Amino acid sequence: MNGKQSSAGEGGADTDMAEQRGPDDPSNLPAPNPADLGELLAAAVRGGAVDADAERRVLAAFRAARDEGAHRASAHNRRRDDWRPERERRSGRSVRTTLVALVASLALGGVAVAAIGSAGDGTRDEGAERGGPLPASSVPTGPPAAAPNQSAPAQADRGFRRPTSAQDTEAHCRAYDSVKKRGKALDSTAWQRLIQAAGGAENVEAYCAEQQDEKKEKKKEKGNAGKVKPSKSPQASKTSKASKTPGSGATKNSKSKAD
Amino acid sequence: MGQGGESHRGRTSDGELGAAVARAQDGDEAAFAVAYRLVQPGLLGYLRGLVGDEAEDVASDAWLEIARDLGRFRGDGAGFRGWTATIARHRALDHLRRLKVRPRASALEQDMLDLPGPHSTHDQALESLSTEYALELVASLPRDQAEAVLLRVVVGLDGPAAARVLGKRPGAVRTAAHRGLKRLASRLDAEGVTDDGPSTLGESR
Repeated sequence: MNGKQSSAGEGGADTDMAEQRGPDDPSNLPAPNPADLGELLAAAVRGGAVDADAERRVLAAFRAARDEGAHRASAHNRRRDDWRPERERRSGRSVRTTLVALVASLALGGVAVAAIGSAGDGTRDEGAERGGPLPASSVPTGPPAAAPNQSAPAQADRGFRRPTSAQDTEAHCRAYDSVKKRGKALDSTAWQRLIQAAGGAENVEAYCAEQQDEKKEKKKEKGNAGKVKPSKSPQASKTSKASKTPGSGATKNSKSKAD
Repeated sequence: MGQGGESHRGRTSDGELGAAVARAQDGDEAAFAVAYRLVQPGLLGYLRGLVGDEAEDVASDAWLEIARDLGRFRGDGAGFRGWTATIARHRALDHLRRLKVRPRASALEQDMLDLPGPHSTHDQALESLSTEYALELVASLPRDQAEAVLLRVVVGLDGPAAARVLGKRPGAVRTAAHRGLKRLASRLDAEGVTDDGPSTLGESR
């Protein structure tokens, strides 16, 4: 008690807060566990009489705001005022999101179908296979040099000069990671081909990286050549290079088996 | 542990609170009074932890804003606790900014620093856990832990709501609340109050 008095003097702290504490009751309670302690704390901290004046002032403010129409729901909601449970808020959003996704997928799907059609009959079995795992891969994206993945010229080339499925391999490579994470469908034929081509599941990543590099180089050349006019000779050399890779060969073999 | 007992107090009245808030938003003053009485004790406790003796004034400011912006609020009873706590916190931080003091340097904390050891065994402390003493204890915690404990335990928010009020990740707030309560428990233990009080103040682990 003495210590407390002096501390209040020294620190200039509020004395009457300390006065109200009565720590002199002897008792033998067990050590508090945090849950009990929480209860105790809550009871203690929330304790105390409600200030009637304060309540009157708040209610007066409520009336004033109500009477001047401040409580009418405002048109634009601030996010900080929205405390509805997460799923309620999300359901509103998900309708929008779903619509956007639907429209986007329809648009992309149309492009994909058109691309297959324009590529001609030679691509039929590729096209069928491509339709499965990666619809988004057929989006025509900007100028060839800037395109991160496949580009329109690459697609146009495919039908005539690419009997192999190097692009399918790329698509599979991209999809492989996400599929692997879900642990699904790794046993499907396409994945088996990819794994086989890479020489084992553990090599898929390296194999895909290699494919990616190769593709980038090709794209650079193609971008230059393609701007003028897609000419046959450089394409042919590239194609033969592509078909030499173990991936293309294996893919071709297994495909013919499957057919 | 530590989570079971924290917020059921709040939840038991959340249904009632939600209904009262909805009626208040339709203009029912009595319903707003009900909501006020349900929320104010926890809010005031939280504010006492933040601004000490100024809590009543800050709470008053906060409630004026709550009364004015009630029409904007969307949510249920639990949401109303979170919304009001956020408003109260902003008012408290404004207040502290005006004073140019950190919340840590409150009168409560000064008392805490100088608490005499012999009286502070947890047995005695628990038996007589007065509002002031409880607040002293909480004020002795690092700021993030103190706030987490107050929001979870005193205001009665669940983890995600407390995290939203504080603008932090739920995991961080859960950890802070847990550590805060553990630290309080050990502090209430014999001699724990004085021995490591000053040296650990303000540290956040």
